[in-house]
Amino acid sequence: MSIAIEKSQSKLITGKPPVIVNRLVSTRSAGKMVKDYWDRVFTARERGATVVWYNGAALNPLFQAAGIEWCHGEAFAARIAAMHLEGPAQETGEEYGYNQELCSYARTTLGCSVLTQKQAEIVPQANEPDDFPDIPSEAVLASRLPPPDFFVNAYAGCSTGQQWDEISYRMYGKKLPFFKVSYPFLWGNRPDAGYLRGQEWDDASQYVAAQLYKLIEFLELQTGREFDWDVLRESMHYIKRAAKLRVEALELCKTAPTPAVFWDWVASIAPINFLPGTQELVDYFARVKAEIEQRIIDGVAALPSERYRLSFDGIMNWTKVGWLANKFSEHDAAVICGRYTHSSFWHEPHLIDEDDPILGMAQHYLLCPFNHSAKVQSEIMLQNAKTYGLDGVVFHSTRTCRSSANGQMVMAKAAQAAGLQTMVLEGDVADASFYKDEILESRLEAMLETIDARRIR
Amino acid sequence: MDPTGQADKIFAALAGIAEDPLSYAEEWKRKTGRQVIAVLPMNFPSELIHAAGALPVVMQAERTAPTDGRSLLYEYYCGFTRSLVDQAATKKLGVFDAFLLVDHCVALLGAADAIRFELPDTPVHLAQYTASMDEPWTPPQVQGKVDELKGVLSEICGRSATDEGIIKSINAFNLNRKMLREIYDLRRSGEVPLTSRKIQVLVKSSMVMDIAEHNEHLAQLLPMLKAGSYTSNKPVKLHLSGHFCHAPHPELLDMIEDCGAVIVDDDLYTGYRYIATDVPTERDPIAALTRWYFDRNTNTPCSTRAQKNVDWEKYLSTSAQKSGAEGIIVLMAKFCEPHMLYYPELRKEFIAANIPHLLLETEHESPAIEMVKTRVEALIETIRLNKTKAA
Repeated sequence: MSIAIEKSQSKLITGKPPVIVNRLVSTRSAGKMVKDYWDRVFTARERGATVVWYNGAALNPLFQAAGIEWCHGEAFAARIAAMHLEGPAQETGEEYGYNQELCSYARTTLGCSVLTQKQAEIVPQANEPDDFPDIPSEAVLASRLPPPDFFVNAYAGCSTGQQWDEISYRMYGKKLPFFKVSYPFLWGNRPDAGYLRGQEWDDASQYVAAQLYKLIEFLELQTGREFDWDVLRESMHYIKRAAKLRVEALELCKTAPTPAVFWDWVASIAPINFLPGTQELVDYFARVKAEIEQRIIDGVAALPSERYRLSFDGIMNWTKVGWLANKFSEHDAAVICGRYTHSSFWHEPHLIDEDDPILGMAQHYLLCPFNHSAKVQSEIMLQNAKTYGLDGVVFHSTRTCRSSANGQMVMAKAAQAAGLQTMVLEGDVADASFYKDEILESRLEAMLETIDARRIR
Repeated sequence: MDPTGQADKIFAALAGIAEDPLSYAEEWKRKTGRQVIAVLPMNFPSELIHAAGALPVVMQAERTAPTDGRSLLYEYYCGFTRSLVDQAATKKLGVFDAFLLVDHCVALLGAADAIRFELPDTPVHLAQYTASMDEPWTPPQVQGKVDELKGVLSEICGRSATDEGIIKSINAFNLNRKMLREIYDLRRSGEVPLTSRKIQVLVKSSMVMDIAEHNEHLAQLLPMLKAGSYTSNKPVKLHLSGHFCHAPHPELLDMIEDCGAVIVDDDLYTGYRYIATDVPTERDPIAALTRWYFDRNTNTPCSTRAQKNVDWEKYLSTSAQKSGAEGIIVLMAKFCEPHMLYYPELRKEFIAANIPHLLLETEHESPAIEMVKTRVEALIETIRLNKTKAA
């Protein structure tokens, strides 16, 4: 299997030799899969499809079985941020009255809502670039979402996530149907509480599962069709297989030097998070796993100069993914795992009963990586440190995402107590203005030097 | 002593307690030998704690800038949560036997988890109330949590609250709210010169004091206030809105009034929002406390809840009409996400209803009063100008 070699741009800036990063080739097809998905969403109106806007958990198998098109707000915000096209949506949000300290996912998608509504007034079924004559080219993408037929909110771990859809509902004149799934935060009141265990976990699982059945009734009402349970079972069959392959592939990165890095897994978030459960999804993760296995056989490393093994805690930072990948690689630091990639997105596939999938789905929604106490987060982090042989943890302090920032300082203390080196990287999920590049540089250098010093001792 | 002097004496006593609730709680604990329970805002039913024989204290922000707490919570959390964590980190919260909360605001959860880390031997119990009010399965879920709290308090306090005991507590808190609302009515009528600072003292002290003791103070105070006389110099009437979870700095309130405004109404948490709704007097007190949670949001809508059929913005424009407020100042605590999210909806309504308004973002550290003052003066002058034009 061929190996893609990307040369970092850092040579132009620092004068250092180019850093060789062997990114997985197999993840490249994710780009096309995701683009095709969004193109399908953009053309939903002209195809006469029903469109749901939703936020939070991966409810897409339910929408797939209901025969509707789904638009995940955060995913769209992440996409336009990763394409560096978030500016027009965020500026529109600001003009509308949103403060810059508000969740940048919410600001971005609410800005998109304003743009979508404006565009729908001009051309009701806009799709082709010519349909957007009065909109600057960089704002076209942010204006392309098809207006929703109804909303579904299912946000675990973050009160803002629920309130954000309440505002979307109001922005559309309070006229559209709106269903809300509420999640208990897995706080851990009782001594028996813990990860996947205890009465609290059982009760929460049942509470959410019951709401999913109600959601299915709601979907039937909106579509006027009977919910297709066979499609749901089939979708969850593929998702379970894909998830299992993904988890197995993640675990292969215990190998040192690692055959794949966190940034490869970031590229695979969209497919597992919101693409339809199909054979194509299974094939994708089978290719990813096969490529990693081959790398292990061939002795190929993701970062041949790997000297440090780190994990990345917090939510992703979509405006800076490539830049960060290069920054860490330049310093021979392989980011092996992360909370967002490894503790999320159908990451406990054994919970899914393909014949009766609702409970397992509810449990995965509860397992949102930001729906746990700091104590449980710390336990997971330390377990990963052991599994992957980590030297340190990088905490992405996400300015406008308190749900991902919650518990980080407690986790940092737990990491330090366990002999791990830690650093805090200040940034944001979808607003590039919160980055301080030079501070990251100096903190990263200091962290790695400390790891070196510890090794000598 | 003349009535005004006596009233001032009561205000001074309550102001001292509101300023230093931890000392009051320590003294109460020393005298009674009973538990003191910290309550995190904004929907906790303190009646349950009272019925279990303990003192409920709604946690208050301190005036001091966070120090040790900065290593537990980032600087982009609201001042209230940072202050709570700092109080825990600087070991000031030893008087509390437990921390209880029902709200799941993301920042509040972060703070509660940091408190749990800092005070590992003190229970920090989350009985999460579902924030979405619309679904038929929400009330039974909330009722289950009220029941759960009753059990938790029984464990913490070593004594179980009876239904009769809870009803007595509900009555005591209802009486407190009723008397405070009477004072609000006097304020709205313009018959009593009650500053916002004084109103804040009354509400804040009710949040942290033994309710029976607070009721005694209010019972003495009310007739004195009713007997007072007041000559209005026709200042601009304003409504103060927002500021969830904690009290705005009194200096800010003084400044607004010094600019030539009188505050005739508010929906601040440390204000009317806290006292607006009584617990229904039903035979089943657990059901009554459950209903109270829903009634509160219907009476005084809050953007921390998700409810399709209530509108905070409509509530505000209607309130302004009722109280005669000529403008609204929105006080938004910096980094308060539910408020940041909802503000554009408020703004749209104010513009549509032709209500002059001003958004002031407040910070935990002392406000730059002079800078803010210019903006308040501009609002007041705009209102005066509009009135002149209309005349």
